[in-house]
Amino acid sequence: MGVLKIVEYSKTEFLIACASSHVRDGENVFGGTGMPLLAALLAKETHAPKSNLISEAGFIDARPREVPLSVADTRYYYGCSAAIGLIETLGFLLQAGRIDVGFLGAAQIDEYGNLNTSYIGPYDAPKVKLPGSGGGNDIASSAKRLIIMMAHDKRKFLKKLDYMTSPGYLDGPGAREKWSLVGGGPEVVITDMCQMDFDPDTKKIGLKSVHPGFTVQDIQDNVMFDLIIPDDVPTTEEPTQKQLDIMKKLDPKGIYLGKGG
Amino acid sequence: MTEAEVEDKRITLAEAAKMVGDGDGLFWGGFGYQRPPIAFAHELVRQKKRNLTVYTCGSEVDLEIMAGAGVATRYEIAFSAIEALGLSYNIRRRVSEGKLAVEDYSNLAMAMRFLGGALNVPFMPIRSMMGTDMVNLRRYRGDDKLKVMDCPFTGDKICIVPSIQPDFSIVHVQRVDKLGNAQIDGIVGEDLEGSRCGKKLIVLAEELIDTTEVLTRPDQTKIPAMYVDHVVVLPYIAHPMMCHDYYDYDLEHLQMFHEMTRTEEGWQEYLDNYILGVDDHHGYLNLVGWDNLHKLHATKPWGY
Repeated sequence: MGVLKIVEYSKTEFLIACASSHVRDGENVFGGTGMPLLAALLAKETHAPKSNLISEAGFIDARPREVPLSVADTRYYYGCSAAIGLIETLGFLLQAGRIDVGFLGAAQIDEYGNLNTSYIGPYDAPKVKLPGSGGGNDIASSAKRLIIMMAHDKRKFLKKLDYMTSPGYLDGPGAREKWSLVGGGPEVVITDMCQMDFDPDTKKIGLKSVHPGFTVQDIQDNVMFDLIIPDDVPTTEEPTQKQLDIMKKLDPKGIYLGKGG
Repeated sequence: MTEAEVEDKRITLAEAAKMVGDGDGLFWGGFGYQRPPIAFAHELVRQKKRNLTVYTCGSEVDLEIMAGAGVATRYEIAFSAIEALGLSYNIRRRVSEGKLAVEDYSNLAMAMRFLGGALNVPFMPIRSMMGTDMVNLRRYRGDDKLKVMDCPFTGDKICIVPSIQPDFSIVHVQRVDKLGNAQIDGIVGEDLEGSRCGKKLIVLAEELIDTTEVLTRPDQTKIPAMYVDHVVVLPYIAHPMMCHDYYDYDLEHLQMFHEMTRTEEGWQEYLDNYILGVDDHHGYLNLVGWDNLHKLHATKPWGY
């Protein structure tokens, strides 16, 4: 007799588990806060126990006992191997090519994975001033791999950004090399509808997998550029009960998981 | 040295802010939620300073206060938001009104500009920002925002950013002696470079310690007295943000602040109540309430 397995999860939990699967064991990871932080911690608790979580404020090899609200939150301190500063993390580690994977979010993305976190509307008369680069441009320039997490909204997946804060593949093949960028560029984009990745030759964005409950057509209807659609698009793997249990332990107050986990 | 010859650099918060002239440039210490010199921002507002330029990587509540109150008109920064809560509404409004100009850099770019200033060299090379609008689009700095050039040694593209030696560096630390030996616990952010790049350095500290205490833990002295011009000692300088090993952030106050800044009217009400409506930092702390402040006191060994 087979065992019927029904795992219930929220959208946030699904995205965290999905992001976590891209962290490999032994990697140096820029985790930040929010969903990326929980994804990095989940990876460490499951398939990547030797991964090293770093916060750009200066915390190295972090194991926070409570989730930090800020990259500089003291909640990051206890359990670290080292607490130093910005030149250490963004300079000696990141710019020197020692960071394997970084996470970024954005308000807008284009077909080459370039990101806008600075302005909505024209630069000279912006409608909305967004947070800016922070360490985002540094991470996108110099991390070996970049994982992008975004809310899926047609107005965010554009042919042309209002402002390019952080480099994906810029204007295509050879562009990162032309500007001597240290890092390799974006590997995957995780949205609440799908995962996207980049064609190794054209550097253009394509569909990688579709989350349960969505169709390829849904995704095509919700981007403003041509999306490469492979013949066979798999369904994104769902989180396991073990992953869900660990997430609840990592964020028992639901600070990032939200009410009801 | 005899006791009488020992210099005492302590001044009041009001005296320190009085030294800042309209139009001056300030390095602004702290990073994210950690050790922002918010009491100093309040005093600049009370003294109605104008046209300041603020240089920092990423500050949150303090940048909101200085933009909202019209104290600062230029920011050279990498980041403005209240992490975990959302956008910086005051900055967003002032930018849209054309009353605040933000020259955008990355965190590493700003940290390197402070390092260059501290080292007394005119620029620093960095590998970020190239290929993006961070290079292509500029505001008041124009050509002097940054340059992308071919490395004279390798021929590779490299970005060079201008060093900064502002009029003042404003840095908040945990402990200081009256000579100015300043001790920082936890992460330093960009405060090592920032404290050494300004023409004058004002250190704000939570606690005064005797020089004998400095001598027992010299490794904790992140800013030796020789760099320090003035010292201000006050409790809860970073409220509603945090100070490692001293107190946690005040999430309730922070959420109230963020919520009130959603509208200009809400912000003006906060400004009138918490900043202009009190005589000094002690007045602000009394208004926040000592029962509330005591609850924020850090627990060992967690540090918050």
